[in-house]
Amino acid sequence: MIVAGRQTAFVFLIVTIALFYIFLEMARRGRKIPIRTFPAIAAIPEAIGRCAEMGKPLLYTSGYAMETLSNPDQGPQTLASISILSHVARLAVRAGVKLYYFTCIKDSLPLVEETLRTAYLEEGKPEEFDPLQINYQAGQSPYLNAVMGFMQRERPASNILMGGFYYESVVMGEAGNTIGAMQIAGTANTHQMPFLIATCDYCLIAEELYAASADITKDPWILGCLRGEDIMKLVILVLLIVGFVISFARVPILIDILKR
Amino acid sequence: MAEVVRREAVYALTAIIVVIMMVDFFFTIPAISAIAGELRTWATIISTMALTLGAVNIIRVHSRNVRRRAPGVWYHSAWLIFIFAFVLLLGFTDINNPSSNPVYKWIFDNAYVSLGQTWYAITGFYIASAAYRAFRARNIDAALLLIAGIFVMLMNAPIGEVIWVQIPRIGRWFNDVGQVPAMRTFLIVAAFGLLAFGFRTLLGRERGFYGEVAGG
Repeated sequence: MIVAGRQTAFVFLIVTIALFYIFLEMARRGRKIPIRTFPAIAAIPEAIGRCAEMGKPLLYTSGYAMETLSNPDQGPQTLASISILSHVARLAVRAGVKLYYFTCIKDSLPLVEETLRTAYLEEGKPEEFDPLQINYQAGQSPYLNAVMGFMQRERPASNILMGGFYYESVVMGEAGNTIGAMQIAGTANTHQMPFLIATCDYCLIAEELYAASADITKDPWILGCLRGEDIMKLVILVLLIVGFVISFARVPILIDILKR
Repeated sequence: MAEVVRREAVYALTAIIVVIMMVDFFFTIPAISAIAGELRTWATIISTMALTLGAVNIIRVHSRNVRRRAPGVWYHSAWLIFIFAFVLLLGFTDINNPSSNPVYKWIFDNAYVSLGQTWYAITGFYIASAAYRAFRARNIDAALLLIAGIFVMLMNAPIGEVIWVQIPRIGRWFNDVGQVPAMRTFLIVAAFGLLAFGFRTLLGRERGFYGEVAGG
């Protein structure tokens, strides 16, 4: 019945979901779940304040992300980025900062437009929303070109780069440094993390991108999920140590179980 | 009220689709597999249809630049609109196989691909400048990064082996042993983050990307 080779993964999935559920129930019933503040999220108001003080726009972009939401690795990063965008947009509208969004992910356009429109509406300035704040370019290089051109022409005071980045990360990061912009970034693409860390002031790394909404909303459901996630990380750590130790005895039992 | 119903319907639909795709991944149930296959086709069709939205966005943004004679930009926008229309018309000459049109193919191969590759090649210079920024030994961590970076760079440069025959070996150690466990750690934790994100989406608690404003 279960596809061969996915039995252990299925058990892990069930255990993980059960843990998520247990902790979110505990959080819902009022148990305090502490969460550390992400410096990158805490720096967002500062980045927006900088734009307001300098009278310059804010640039937000979600990366190449294979140009689609359908990609299983990249799509969720784009969705997490749009979740952060909703927070950023609201703060920007409140501060009177013009936010420009650049993307090459065609199927994210309706979500982004809805997110920005709602932010303007919630802040009581629906008439200020301009759909042309959203700039779409088809393809990775045209998208990169558009962002670089915007940076050189408009000189945004702050850049926020969150999502599934590829080679454009280092180019955008360095271009942002050249114009002296404050930069906040985040990606779960391991191959691009070093570039963003090197070129940006603050960076969300790996799962922090997905967890950022917990820091923003402090929603007990999301906090509960985070605690469940931490427990599973401990389980994986224990498995890694056990696997490491028993590998010396050449006992393949753990590998056999995990391969099932 | 209608807005609330619309949103709740979207959350419910998302949850149903997530469950179907998960069941299809783990179990071999022909009926579910058929539905999952249909859903994948729909996703591809919707994604392709979204190209139209992108095209509309491009035309609107650039036609406004031209209309307003935006300084330093409008002539680029006019050129973009002209090329957009020209390539679109060329594509329509053989809608089943646009690349059979030699002019279309020439533009794609000699302009689009070449310019894209040029951008990619330029990345090397940006990496060098980013490396310069990262490799300043301001503290013990940065100093260790600098040492590892020097070995990996010399491993890739022919002069490394000339300086000392062991340099490529040490560089390969950093590359294959030193950084792999750290990157795998990030991959594992990112996978759990993704799972938690999916679970919250399934429950309709992750609402930022539905157009709902998070926090503030």
